[in-house]
Amino acid sequence: MNPQPLITTTEAVDKAFYVIFGISGIAFLGITVATVYLCWRYNRKRQPLPISQKDHNIWLEVTWTVIPSLLVMVMFWYGWEGYLSLRRIPDNAVPVTASARMWSWLFTYENGKTSDKLYVPVGQPVKVLIVAEDVLHSFYVPAFRVKRDCVPGMKNYAWFVADQPGSYDLFCAEYCGVGHSKMITTVEAIPAPEFAAWLNAKPLVTDIGKELLQKHGCLGCHSLDGSRMVGPSFQGIGGRQVVVTSNGEQRTLTTDNDYLRKAIVEPGADIVEGYPPAMPAYAGRIPEEDLTGIIDYLMGLNAEGTKVETKQEHEAAEPAGKAEPAEKTEETKPAEPKAAVSDPVSRGEELAGKNACLGCHSTDGSRRVGPSLKGLMGSERTVVKDGKTLKVQADASYLIRAIREPAAEVAEGYPAAMPPYPGLSDDDIKALQAWLETLK
Amino acid sequence: MSDVTATATSDRGFFDEAKYSGIFGWIFSTDHKRIGLLYFWCIVAFFCIGVVLGLLIRLELFAPGETIMGPQAYNAAFTLHGVIMIFLFIIPGIPAAFGNLIMPIQIGARDVAFPKLNLFSWYLYITGAIMAVTSLFTGGGPPDTGWTFYVPFSAQTSTNVSLAAMAVFFLGFSSILTGLNFVTTVHRLRTTGMTWMRIPLFTWSLYATAWIQILATPVIGITVALLFAERVIGAGLFDPTQGGDPIMFQHLFWIYSHPAVYIMVLPGMGVVSDIIPVFARKPAFGYKAIVVSSLAIAFAGSLVWAHHMYTSGMSDMAVLIFSFLTFIVAIPSAIKVFNWLATLYQGSILLDPPLLYALSFILLFTIGGLTGLVLGAAATDIHVHDTYFVVGHFHFVMFGGTGMAFFAAMHYWLPKIYGRMYDKTVATVAWGVIFIGFCILYITMMVVGMQGMPRRYWDYLPEFTGLNQLATVGSWILAIGLILMFVNVFRGIFKGDPAGANPWGGASLEWQISSPPTMENFGEEDPVVTHGPYDFKKAGIL
Repeated sequence: MNPQPLITTTEAVDKAFYVIFGISGIAFLGITVATVYLCWRYNRKRQPLPISQKDHNIWLEVTWTVIPSLLVMVMFWYGWEGYLSLRRIPDNAVPVTASARMWSWLFTYENGKTSDKLYVPVGQPVKVLIVAEDVLHSFYVPAFRVKRDCVPGMKNYAWFVADQPGSYDLFCAEYCGVGHSKMITTVEAIPAPEFAAWLNAKPLVTDIGKELLQKHGCLGCHSLDGSRMVGPSFQGIGGRQVVVTSNGEQRTLTTDNDYLRKAIVEPGADIVEGYPPAMPAYAGRIPEEDLTGIIDYLMGLNAEGTKVETKQEHEAAEPAGKAEPAEKTEETKPAEPKAAVSDPVSRGEELAGKNACLGCHSTDGSRRVGPSLKGLMGSERTVVKDGKTLKVQADASYLIRAIREPAAEVAEGYPAAMPPYPGLSDDDIKALQAWLETLK
Repeated sequence: MSDVTATATSDRGFFDEAKYSGIFGWIFSTDHKRIGLLYFWCIVAFFCIGVVLGLLIRLELFAPGETIMGPQAYNAAFTLHGVIMIFLFIIPGIPAAFGNLIMPIQIGARDVAFPKLNLFSWYLYITGAIMAVTSLFTGGGPPDTGWTFYVPFSAQTSTNVSLAAMAVFFLGFSSILTGLNFVTTVHRLRTTGMTWMRIPLFTWSLYATAWIQILATPVIGITVALLFAERVIGAGLFDPTQGGDPIMFQHLFWIYSHPAVYIMVLPGMGVVSDIIPVFARKPAFGYKAIVVSSLAIAFAGSLVWAHHMYTSGMSDMAVLIFSFLTFIVAIPSAIKVFNWLATLYQGSILLDPPLLYALSFILLFTIGGLTGLVLGAAATDIHVHDTYFVVGHFHFVMFGGTGMAFFAAMHYWLPKIYGRMYDKTVATVAWGVIFIGFCILYITMMVVGMQGMPRRYWDYLPEFTGLNQLATVGSWILAIGLILMFVNVFRGIFKGDPAGANPWGGASLEWQISSPPTMENFGEEDPVVTHGPYDFKKAGIL
């Protein structure tokens, strides 16, 4: 803990506001009163001829140069001091990653849990790692006076502490396209014990489809309750008739699995009538499991309201991993002897396919969403950690870090887009390593 | 000021002396006054379009949710409002229109140094303007990036950003060539006796501005050319997945666009510095200090660009340096305000419309400048950056400053150019309505920004509704004032009573010749200057 009492970001910044507004207010009042008085006193009605033709006074001019110079330096200093408070992160800050994309937020906590609202414990500082997946956004919480841009390929940070429980508005402050003004969520400050309980709670099974929609930012533009947002609502989307424009031609079709898949990976192909062609293409940005999970969930929304079959969700939840680690180890255990007996290399390859690694990482050295896996093991990697660029050796422990907590160290020049895979066991990662060793 | 005898062959002066008839007499003329009027009318037309867009934006924000247009249309509306107001109104506004009309006369010249280049600059301006307008109706629809064209969004959007970027490129060239022309004119074409310290402050401000135009504008040309390359051939300079850096675009953009703020406001300061002495019957107080502060602003203003980027993720050291430099720029601006007030002191003040507009410049620009300190200070900027506070702030500087100075210049110099006077009472009423509407509109914006409402929001949270409605009502009052003002001025210059050569009692050269001026401004002989521009005693005014 800090030895001195914690100063909130709000207090630090507001001090500068008071100083600057105070000095400015007095200056403005002085200038206004002077202008009005001079225009009244020396009005031509009262003063038919000018009293003097004096056009300079060196001491007067020196005075009104020096005094404002001193005043602006005072204001500069208070501004800088407050800014430093925004940059010095208390040691005990809880880390959260805020990931911005068109047009929603995703917050990832230390244990891999994700949410679309930012949950924070009251009274405890929170360090927010700020990343963007597509274009510029800006993380802005007016109540805490913090703002930091989300820049693709860059890792920014901010911190704040909520000293009162409550719900605080969180805005995107950097213009990001048609859904910009809808990119609003909240900071939910809850007492620390409640926060701990929330953080460690498993999500309800029926929520997993919805969690996938949140995770990929779908709900920023599509509602579940039929209300109109940037894009059409998901309510009753499965099997409904839609009018779309494809290559300038209008046609009507019925939504099915194939339609939904195309609408996600290649949204520009068929634009739903009455909506802007605003959706970014998800091709290469969404693991296959998540994609099928979302499609199944959406088709289910029509048939059974908000209820969905659980079988599909289990598959869907896998890459997110957070709900399933225990279950998954059980699943893999019987398979393990077989895998261990057989080739760890082929098991690694199988895991890579199953977990959709190859959606973003090539094996032939070509560039995709993430760096290529070719020649990865044993090479020297340049990564960005906490905003600093450093070089690390790609060894076994690096691999574990890169898979379990990919956002902590991001390969330089790549977006911080990879979701954490806490569901992979140490043995799984060893198998992956064995397979990676072969990719020279 | 000099021994000039107006040799008016006709009371319509240069209007009756054209090489060609009809429209060709205008678009092929190299006379600085005709080119100035070409600019003036185009600029006023674009200003009106910009105002209409601004009113539509305010109307959409009258209530949360969709009021009159959808989000895509709204984004296009504020982008166009910004592009038109910045590149087609404020930047060329005072220098290209009133600079061309008045500056050569003020220094006793018969035209600018390169008259044909001057006409070419206008053609570039019109070409850029036509391209900007064309971008609305062609390609993927009107640009939706905001006037700042930030990447990666501007590189990805399917709207017609490429053409708009090229339009900015052409407009930039127009601005550079005008700057070049003005610097040369001031250096080479001053008449006998027009020493540097006898140059009217308006011309001085144009001279300082011209240097920024020459030195900074090429950077915006480069920036939009790179953006064009990014869009058309995927150059990847700003794309992090290809090793580029989006922050670099912001640096390049603001290296021009911050000095551009001074391109916009310095000429306005020049107008005010010229008007106040005339209506107070007193020489400009601290003439040399005003000159030096113009040059200081031009220089120091080129070193503060990254104060638009405190939240961008650039280093804290950069924030420290740019915040410090930003406060340094505040000092010469403050000096000017004190000098203007000291000019009023012990004078004999006539509150005619040009002075009223000039005084509203001082007050509104002061608010703009002081709220700029909030944005220059690192901590406070973090909170208000990219909120409506910024929108309110720069409208105070740009509209309250440059816009008011443009109106002041209109009321001050158009009677000289057209030889006729508008109705002063109506002009005063219009001024009052504009001032009230302006304050309601933009002070409210700053308040809602302090509360945290981000800018460029098509929709907003219900808690911001009341203030947004107040701001929209302010925009209606402002619009009524503007209509009243324009109708009155334009009616006046075509149908008003003859204004006479020197309606305000000015001592600088433009008031010593006939209204309207003749083709080459002065008669057979060049004027000889024997005293300063505000020496009302020697000019025989007092």
